[in-house]
Amino acid sequence: MMTSFLFRAMDARAGVFLAIMAAVVILVPVGNLLVPHGSPFHVPTYAVTLMGKYLTYALLALAVDLVWGYCGILSLGHAAFFALGGYAMGMYLMRQIGTRGVYGDPTLPDFMVFLNWQELPWYWYGFDMFWFAALMVLLVPGLIAFVFGWFAFRSRVTGVYLSIITQALTYALLLAFFRNDMGFGGNNGLTDFKDILGFDIQADTTRAGLFAASGLALVLSYMICRSITRSKLGKVLVAVRDAESRIRFLGYRVEHYKLFVWTLSAMMAGVAGALYVPQVGIINPGEFAPANSIEVVIWVAVGGRGTLVGAVLGAVLVNFAKTWFTAALPEIWLFALGGLFVFVTLFLPKGILGTLNDGWSTLRQRRNSSDQEDGTGGPRPQAKQSEDAPASTPPPVPAMSRAGASHPQPAE
Amino acid sequence: MKATSLLYLDGVSVTFDGFKALNELSLTIAPGEMRAIIGPNGAGKTTMMDVITGKTKPDRGEIYFDGAIDLTGEDEASIAEIGIGRKFQKPTVFESHTVRDNLELALKAPRGPFATLFHVISGGETKRIDDLLGLIRLSDRKHELAANLSHGQKQWLEIGMLLAQDPKLLLVDEPAAGMTDAETAETAELLKDIAQDHSVVVVEHDMEFVRSLSVKVTVLHEGSVLAEGSLDHVSANERVVEVYLGR
Amino acid sequence: MSNLKSIFVLFCLVAGLVSPALAQSDTESLRSLVDALAKGKYAETEQQIGALVATGDPAVAPALQALGAGDLYFRKSDGQVFIAEKDGKRFTLTDPLTLEVEGDAGKREIKKIKVNNKLRRVIRSALGSLTLMAADPNVRVAAAEAIFKAQDPAGIDALETALAAETDDNVRLVMEQARAAAVLNSDLEEAQKLAAVETLSEMGNREALSLLIGVRSNSEGAVRDAANHAVEKIEKSIAAWNTAQNVWYGVSLGSVLLLAAIGLAITFGVMGVINMAHGEMVMIGAYTTFVVQEIIRTSAPGLFDYSLFIALPLAFLTAGLIGIAIERGVIRWLYGRPLETLLATWGISLILQQAVRSVFGPTNREVGNPDWMSGAFELGQMTITFNRMWIVVFALLVFAGLMLVLKKTPFGLYTRAVTQNRRMAASMGIRTPWIDALTFGLGSGIAGIAGVALSQIDNVSPNLGQGYIIDSFMVVVFGGVGNLWGTLVGAMTLGVVNKFLEPYAGAVLGKIFVLVFIILFIQKRPRGLFALKGRAVEA
Repeated sequence: MMTSFLFRAMDARAGVFLAIMAAVVILVPVGNLLVPHGSPFHVPTYAVTLMGKYLTYALLALAVDLVWGYCGILSLGHAAFFALGGYAMGMYLMRQIGTRGVYGDPTLPDFMVFLNWQELPWYWYGFDMFWFAALMVLLVPGLIAFVFGWFAFRSRVTGVYLSIITQALTYALLLAFFRNDMGFGGNNGLTDFKDILGFDIQADTTRAGLFAASGLALVLSYMICRSITRSKLGKVLVAVRDAESRIRFLGYRVEHYKLFVWTLSAMMAGVAGALYVPQVGIINPGEFAPANSIEVVIWVAVGGRGTLVGAVLGAVLVNFAKTWFTAALPEIWLFALGGLFVFVTLFLPKGILGTLNDGWSTLRQRRNSSDQEDGTGGPRPQAKQSEDAPASTPPPVPAMSRAGASHPQPAE
Repeated sequence: MKATSLLYLDGVSVTFDGFKALNELSLTIAPGEMRAIIGPNGAGKTTMMDVITGKTKPDRGEIYFDGAIDLTGEDEASIAEIGIGRKFQKPTVFESHTVRDNLELALKAPRGPFATLFHVISGGETKRIDDLLGLIRLSDRKHELAANLSHGQKQWLEIGMLLAQDPKLLLVDEPAAGMTDAETAETAELLKDIAQDHSVVVVEHDMEFVRSLSVKVTVLHEGSVLAEGSLDHVSANERVVEVYLGR
Repeated sequence: MSNLKSIFVLFCLVAGLVSPALAQSDTESLRSLVDALAKGKYAETEQQIGALVATGDPAVAPALQALGAGDLYFRKSDGQVFIAEKDGKRFTLTDPLTLEVEGDAGKREIKKIKVNNKLRRVIRSALGSLTLMAADPNVRVAAAEAIFKAQDPAGIDALETALAAETDDNVRLVMEQARAAAVLNSDLEEAQKLAAVETLSEMGNREALSLLIGVRSNSEGAVRDAANHAVEKIEKSIAAWNTAQNVWYGVSLGSVLLLAAIGLAITFGVMGVINMAHGEMVMIGAYTTFVVQEIIRTSAPGLFDYSLFIALPLAFLTAGLIGIAIERGVIRWLYGRPLETLLATWGISLILQQAVRSVFGPTNREVGNPDWMSGAFELGQMTITFNRMWIVVFALLVFAGLMLVLKKTPFGLYTRAVTQNRRMAASMGIRTPWIDALTFGLGSGIAGIAGVALSQIDNVSPNLGQGYIIDSFMVVVFGGVGNLWGTLVGAMTLGVVNKFLEPYAGAVLGKIFVLVFIILFIQKRPRGLFALKGRAVEA
């Protein structure tokens, strides 16, 4: 059953993506570790870390795309799950420091000694073991998402209302993690990590390993997402996105479906966060900032929501641009990012990949229709279903419905 | 009465902000029966459908299905699973899915997320979908997006989806709206076919259409039943003429 | 040092009533009386004190006080009397009449003027009557309050004399309270004490409370019962005032929320547009105030007190015009796609923030409070600052004004028509695109004037708006979309709930609770407190 499930994910398009990812995952560490310094093919360590960071962002974007692109749930709080996963990993890394901290306390992390805490809070137990921390990376975001989603979806909170309360969720967590009393290092968060699974976290080999792990996690998540979106469940999700009440009258429990992808997506975001933290070396409450979650959405929008590869592409492109801008023209970056939001929503509503898909389908359609003139009399189909995902029409429109078209058109 | 009926409504009332959409509505549909429901705008036809299918909760009154199942506490999904299918006034199909996928989604099968996740379509299901495609005359367009169908074709697709669900009772809201005369006649034939092994409730404005069904008619007015009987019988009723048919 | 300070305070209080010319001529005769204190035994000192009091001149008070405290010395060389304060090994000498430092002296050069307990009592009552009879009511009040704090039974006689002569009702009240406090610390009979407890219980503030708690533990019988009763009564009344103060803080926070959210209630509630750049409109209003004040500072400083009134219309116009530009440029292409609108306006908010940062710099800018916005006043047991009060008033005025515009003007009628049925409105000849633009402009403009008000209580920085956007959305969603009354009730409720949680949970945790509460509340009532019902919603 499982094999047929994963097998479904494979086709030509997935093959191309996997081939590229395989090349990246192998070549970048090789370029860093085996190619000598000075060679034009040498990949410096900072670049490995940077690209590793992009990969974790891509994984986060994939998680957002799964709920937004396929199920119509616009989450403005996914950075919260990312950060929770990150904190779970950060707690493991803190406990690995042991006596090497500034205060040299074998169990208590530095900030607890600093705050005069006498013993480890109960929720820090177990994080000295990697397997436990890894489990928590999945369970903590998953559980919070499950509880939140269980309430929200059962009472049919949808659309912008849901988006707004996801913002409230991440904002509440932001405030909570800023508190010293919470026992997560308050304002400063968790940092000064020494090693992971016994490997020095600063070493080139560890960096390369973390990069490869991020790449593998991305590939695996992509395969899972793709199996899901191509299954009957994926079709139900798209139906939920396009006509939620209709699918209910067919007997599907929309809340169960939403809860399933929502929780899964939160877990993926948690994994992304857990891989992010050892690479950047710090996790602090700033990761919960509502603005972060909104930024993730624009990565997905740029690449093309409802296309998994698009989410990955968008995350890498936007973050590459961010790195370049903030180094070269820091003043301009927010203008550029803001402009990107406006440009994409106005002129590229399907994102880069969605637009390419459309163009490709139209082209093929034209060739098909010239091959065979059929006489059904109905309107000529404009776009065939794309291979990757059903063409995304805009989500159902509430009271103010005016323009249902997916291309911008002026108000009267 | 309640025990032998397929659908049983007694004293059902719904109020929106002081407006009585349904007022002590009582109605019984027998197993295998086909019933037409007519009435002016605001008579409560759509609200009645909403109440039966669980979209709206009634303030008062009883709704029983199959003599024993209380519908008032159930939500849309469980009512659909119990065996009531509904077609909306405005055709609602999944526009970004193909015609075939629309039918596959509607097909009677386990509805849980894990069941659908590992679902592999069987030969039997493929055959059933092909049969339905033939019935609703969309065989040659099965790989097209539902968005590209004409209005009438969407109506038919939705009826096809209803049949795929294989419900005991079909609630059909204005199936002939926006259809050409030929299509309307065909739709009537289709419904009559369906009624042979399903119970059907049709809400319709088009009197010709209702006449061509030649079934018992219920007239709704201001949220309750005004008259019931054959079309000729209710057409002769003075009140019906006054509020609905016009003089 | 503290002694000298209190003497100095007393002097400052009395100095005001001595006219300079008179002081000059009197100082000589007073000095001889003061210097006389250096001579003689206790009995004579008592007479000399009497002579000083007989002058009725408050200027002698510091000398008497120092005498009572044992700080009064005379110089052996010339017999002149000083207030001496030990400073290391030497003493600093201060003239007891002018309170000017007159140099210092070694331990052997001066000698303390001795007093016994009887003399101390005499001095206290002399001091009391001296200041209690002063011409300045403030001095009299201060004197009475001093006796109240000291609970000094020796002051009773002086107080009674002063009371007999007192004409000012306010001062009388303070004196009676002081007398009551003193009586409770004396050996007077029970009836007197009961009356005193009654007086204090009517006083009803924290000082009376702590005094009565002392009485309760130090007395017996009827007095103890009466004190206990009074303590309970005061505790109840203080609790009530605390509640009132919390409600006030809550209303004040609620008004801030209302100001921030009310523009959003129009763009989100009435038009269905999610404007994430709403907070930036508030920020632009605040920066408009800053610019107006800068111009006034450099070119017309006299107008500073009116700066806010000048800034209001300008902020409305600036934010409103930017709002209209946003609507025409971006939002109108996105109607019916709320999630896309959300993203596009978020982008605009980033651009506006960076623009302001580029022009005005990333740091906080100073926006001043006009005089009438500063200060505070007391209402019963609570303190109300003027800036908070004016913001509450202003928020309610803006709300009322907006209601009036929407309900009574043709523009409001058109807006409501377009909201309810766009097509119908269009076919009746209403230019719906213009109404959209103007409504959006109105919502943004109101955010702008909210910015003027918020510049008075918050830091004016490019991030000003971001701090309000989530709270504003919470208010609108909680109150119910499409209903301005809901926004009012929502803002006030959230404000008050927040302030009531703060004492128990702390500010941050309180806020978290409120957020969680709203998240749960939306589950229960997805369309807010005052939701529209019926068919219109389903459409």
